[in-house]
Amino acid sequence: MSGLVFPNFDGAPSVSKAQMLSGEALRNASDQDVLATMGGAVRLPGGIALPVQIERVLGFGRSFSYWPLLFGLACCAIEMMALGGSRFDMSRFGMEAMRASPRQADGMIVAGWCTTKMAPRVVRLYEQIPDPKWVLAMGSCAISGNIWDTYGVVQGVDSLIPVDVYVPGCPPRPEALWQGLEMIREKIKKSSHAYDGLRRIPARDALELEGAE
Amino acid sequence: MSVAEIMEARFGSRLLETTTFRDDLTYSIAPDDWREVLEFCKESPDLAFDMLDCLIGDHLPERMEAPLQVVVHLVSHTYGHRLRIKVALPEGKTLRSLTDLWPSSNWDEREAWEMYGIYFTRHPHLRRLLTTDDFEGHPMRKDFPLQGTIGGPIRTKLKGKI
Repeated sequence: MSGLVFPNFDGAPSVSKAQMLSGEALRNASDQDVLATMGGAVRLPGGIALPVQIERVLGFGRSFSYWPLLFGLACCAIEMMALGGSRFDMSRFGMEAMRASPRQADGMIVAGWCTTKMAPRVVRLYEQIPDPKWVLAMGSCAISGNIWDTYGVVQGVDSLIPVDVYVPGCPPRPEALWQGLEMIREKIKKSSHAYDGLRRIPARDALELEGAE
Repeated sequence: MSVAEIMEARFGSRLLETTTFRDDLTYSIAPDDWREVLEFCKESPDLAFDMLDCLIGDHLPERMEAPLQVVVHLVSHTYGHRLRIKVALPEGKTLRSLTDLWPSSNWDEREAWEMYGIYFTRHPHLRRLLTTDDFEGHPMRKDFPLQGTIGGPIRTKLKGKI
């Protein structure tokens, strides 16, 4: 057992503190007392509240099974495939299972430039991924459009969907994408940015603006 | 009889220009002969061009009187020969669609119309193929601006809100 290292969650109460509330005290305690003992509540859409501790245990589990959407837009996807292959071997971190259906995915890697024709599909795929979800923009084209400041290319996918991590490069090396995925795992562990249902989707905002005008 | 002999026997001086580059024969024709020449290429048993390899648009603004051009590559699987046909078009001149002769010209014509503004009459559905339906202009023309603003305003407007 000495080789096992448990993650040190920031602000999580120690085991002894949590055990203080037990037996008769636990039965008599109000919900607020229990939540406070467990580190406060995390609000979910729909009014459900989860204690931070449970949420972090869930996040710890999720961080080792981030399944990206099997989705490549352009040449960056080749590097993404290289990361999935045996040389770089993404499966060491539980990420090898790229799901072809957005309903089974935990997020997407936007690999390559996105055309205006493709933009509605990207938004739709993003919206079909169940919460919580994390998005990684891979390569200069996905981040800013790169040199394609032309009629057909969206100048950065963050004008369409919320992006968590940007990986620059043209294309980024598989190691760079790996580091980006590590950053996503850190976010998942902290459950930061987890409930995207509460966030605004830029493409929807733009449509509302257009409708208002 | 070779392709050149058959074509020249049939059309003669209506073939405006003939070039051969690495055994690839090219004829330039007038827009009014377009349909007749291509129908002959398809129907003639000695030519039997059963495949339309590609149909390409082109914009040559230095040619003031006929800035647009359509190039058709034909292939015959029966005889193994090839032919290219070029037609120079003034602005606004339309061509008869080839979709009834070679269905593969469907998307090629859509692309030529979308990118260069070359209109094909009697095309089943001449819609935009590669750009969005509300796109304005023909982006592959030489006078189309290289740097566009599509996507740009969305990005700059919403950058602070993300």
